[in-house]
Amino acid sequence: MGNHRQILLANIKEADQHTLAGYESRGGYSVIRRVLGMEPLKAIEEVKKSGLRGRGGAGFPTGVKWSYVPRNSRKPVYVVQNADEGEPGTFKDRLLLERDPHLCIEGMLICAWAVQSRRSFIYMRGEYCFPYMRVNQALADCYRAGYLGDNIFGSGFSHHMTLHRGAGAYICGEETALLESLEGKKGQPRLKPPFFPALAGLYGCPTVVNNTETLAACVRVFELGAEAYAQIGTAKSKGTKLISAAGHINRPGVYEIELGYPLERFIAEECGGVWHGRKLKAVLVGGSSFPVLRADELAGVNLDYESLQAAGSALGSGALIVMDETTDMLAAACNIARFYAHESCGQCTPCREGAGWVAKIFDRLAAGRGVVGDIELIESVCGQIAGHTICAFGDAVALAAQGFIRKFPEEFKARIKGAGKHLPNGAEDVSRLKGV
Amino acid sequence: MSEAGPLHNEMVTLKIDGRALTVPQGLNLIEAAKTVGIEIPHFCYHPHLSVAGNCRICQVKVKGSPKLEIACNTKVREGMEVFTHLTSKEVAEAQAAVLEFILINHPLDCTVCDESGRCKLQDYHYKYNARDSRFLENKVRKVKAKPIGPYVILDGERCIACTRCIRFCDEITKTGELGLVGRGDRVEISLSEGRRLDNPLSGTVADLCPVGALTHRPWRFNTRIWFAKEAEAVCPGCSTGCNCRVAVRDGEIVLVRARLNPAVNKEWMCDEGRYGFKRFLPKPRLVRPLIDGSFAEWTVAAARFKQVLQGELLVFVAPDLLLEEYALLKEFLSKLGQKYSVVLSYRRRTLNALQALLISPDYAADFRAAEFAGLVAGDLEASYNETLQRVREGKADGVLIFGQRALLEEDIDDHVLQGLGRASRTAAVLSSAESKLSSVLGVVLPGQSILEKAGLLINGSGRLQYTSRVVEPPWGTKPEWWIINALAAAFGIKLGVSGDESQLTEHYLKNEPRLAGLTVSLLSKGGVALKF
Repeated sequence: MGNHRQILLANIKEADQHTLAGYESRGGYSVIRRVLGMEPLKAIEEVKKSGLRGRGGAGFPTGVKWSYVPRNSRKPVYVVQNADEGEPGTFKDRLLLERDPHLCIEGMLICAWAVQSRRSFIYMRGEYCFPYMRVNQALADCYRAGYLGDNIFGSGFSHHMTLHRGAGAYICGEETALLESLEGKKGQPRLKPPFFPALAGLYGCPTVVNNTETLAACVRVFELGAEAYAQIGTAKSKGTKLISAAGHINRPGVYEIELGYPLERFIAEECGGVWHGRKLKAVLVGGSSFPVLRADELAGVNLDYESLQAAGSALGSGALIVMDETTDMLAAACNIARFYAHESCGQCTPCREGAGWVAKIFDRLAAGRGVVGDIELIESVCGQIAGHTICAFGDAVALAAQGFIRKFPEEFKARIKGAGKHLPNGAEDVSRLKGV
Repeated sequence: MSEAGPLHNEMVTLKIDGRALTVPQGLNLIEAAKTVGIEIPHFCYHPHLSVAGNCRICQVKVKGSPKLEIACNTKVREGMEVFTHLTSKEVAEAQAAVLEFILINHPLDCTVCDESGRCKLQDYHYKYNARDSRFLENKVRKVKAKPIGPYVILDGERCIACTRCIRFCDEITKTGELGLVGRGDRVEISLSEGRRLDNPLSGTVADLCPVGALTHRPWRFNTRIWFAKEAEAVCPGCSTGCNCRVAVRDGEIVLVRARLNPAVNKEWMCDEGRYGFKRFLPKPRLVRPLIDGSFAEWTVAAARFKQVLQGELLVFVAPDLLLEEYALLKEFLSKLGQKYSVVLSYRRRTLNALQALLISPDYAADFRAAEFAGLVAGDLEASYNETLQRVREGKADGVLIFGQRALLEEDIDDHVLQGLGRASRTAAVLSSAESKLSSVLGVVLPGQSILEKAGLLINGSGRLQYTSRVVEPPWGTKPEWWIINALAAAFGIKLGVSGDESQLTEHYLKNEPRLAGLTVSLLSKGGVALKF
């Protein structure tokens, strides 16, 4: 097992870490006290220097994001913690929120000071009942201790924090949809332009939206110092990352690794290898929104932003779904396609109709009613969705479905029974109908 | 131009499909392309609503941009090069794809759909896709034929979720009755909890709906639209002068739709006006002249009419005659050489804030034209009320009532009838056969409704507009301008404007120095604001 520096999860196993007293006994809230004495711009510089990138999926440099917020804006500035952890296979934020809620709050306060925000929101996934109770208690304790509210830590700076529960929509993890939902509207991504959150976010005001893990990591950036934090990981992927490992492995769970750790080694050592002594077939990295990787594609691939991108996938939210040799890829594809059909917000045409269509074709294949040309049809429909929608959801629908049929074509072809079967409308196969 | 349109007067030059154009800054690509006659198809975009960008059919290729851009949300930039479906295969394919997506769950019940024949989805599919369906699955089922308000009915399956109706209720009426519920291909337009779509402009959402999801309840299953004849008219309901398109089949109005005019009604219309066109076509109609309440020949009635005009006259005019008619009447009365005074039946009404969005506080469509013609001036309502009082008190000797609405229905009480009965000379031009006035008046000629004439109107804000004839007048009736011309001829008076219907307006425009340079074709395109 690799000997990883446990930064975020250092205190996670302490039984009283979720209490204010327990958190403070291990140095909690000392970083924010120090940061409150820094120039806000200097704080942003530190985060930039640390090379910290967004841990929610897109991997955007955190300090750069903060620097987009206009200084001395006449509008209020908001900070929003994206705790709407909904990416399939991802459960890392849940661990932090449940076991170390004060770390998430302290990270938010650092961000709030850096962008001079007086009001922030934690948007938490509706299904996270226990984490909600923990964070709610933590917020109440902070208010009582004077760590939140007016004149926090006696610094003269005021900051109020509100915990909000989502209503169970995956799309509300997309930052602009999250803001819509937070405003009390139907969670649907906004048009960009004009709604760039840093300029026109929550209630039309400058807003920073950061993932829970990103904000928690900010505390460590200031605790260790930006230079020291930047020493961890690779040249372009700095720091540690929480990986939610699930699927056909012996030891599923959340692991903190240094970025750049070999993927195969991670499965073999941290995860305890594939269960029942079976062989590895495929891995979904970064949640379901990126193409699946076959076992033979994993050699030399490391868990970091650039290595996974080079392998044709992405680090994403750091989810790892491992599939053993007995996995039916069509069933897996059905599962994921159904998920996207269910979760498409229904705003733009290609994704609204296309996600449902793709799922229906996969379902039909699984039910043994596939016809010649179905695979080409899925390819074509995916091509018509990707790149034509407001948000990246459409791309995810296409990438996920294309990933399965491209990586395991023979499995899908084998499911089309009675090759040459004619279509109801007399066409010999669907491909004939493709051209304009 | 749209509201979200030009912010500055600065112009930018760009190329669309290789054609250079110079347009004001701040314009979006759909509007910019329109100026050079290129139609970029769109469902969700509307020039007077916010940009939703959800239908994705207006995608275009912008040079230098990795992905296709939606034209509705892309503003013109200096030096920009844009390629539409006409020049880019990628764009044409993306548009065809959007149409394919919309149609997979569309019920394709065009055979029984009221929108069929004027449906943007039909038109666009025919034009930009027109290929077989590749969809072998079951369609998503949704709510059918659900009345959502007094005038509008919803078919959820036909809906393409463009949210135009929602944005109209949110942004224009600000009543927020509608919303989108559900996700994915199960999204549906729905009423807010405990609400009905019953704002004063509710019918507008059916106009805005690019497909047959929202249709007008009063006109459901009325006709296939291609059997109807459509006229570009101006609503005579009040002095706002909303531009509309009225479809008529077999003499019956089968559909009234708002017509885009940014300077007047954008593309909105009030329910009162839209569904109230029938009140301008009274039934049964007066089709023969009356003398003392009995039918008479035109020649006899005309002679009697001539007698009435010999002496001092109190003239009541309707507020919905054409500008040409007011001008002719003014000229005729002044050349007649008798003492006369004219009043127009103008009465103010109170409106609530929602009605006041579009409705003017009167029922007098064309009172401004009477003012423009110099026929009436000052406080119209006060002089109308005073004159009415004189009639009630029997102080009127010669009374001429010009037009069905020259006396408001509510004002025709027993005192007025008695007063008119006592007057020695009374004549009228009416269109209803059941007017209470007929029995007390000396002579009545059968006139025509504003919907049966084509000509000029001036709305409350002084905008001169042209309205086309909506329905054919019944046999036996004559337009008011014809009657004035005939009376003038009987007196040997030569009027400046004469000629038949086709020349009436052109003739008038030529003779009116204040309207020099204006033509019917010019006025048909949104009208002209007058200063007076």
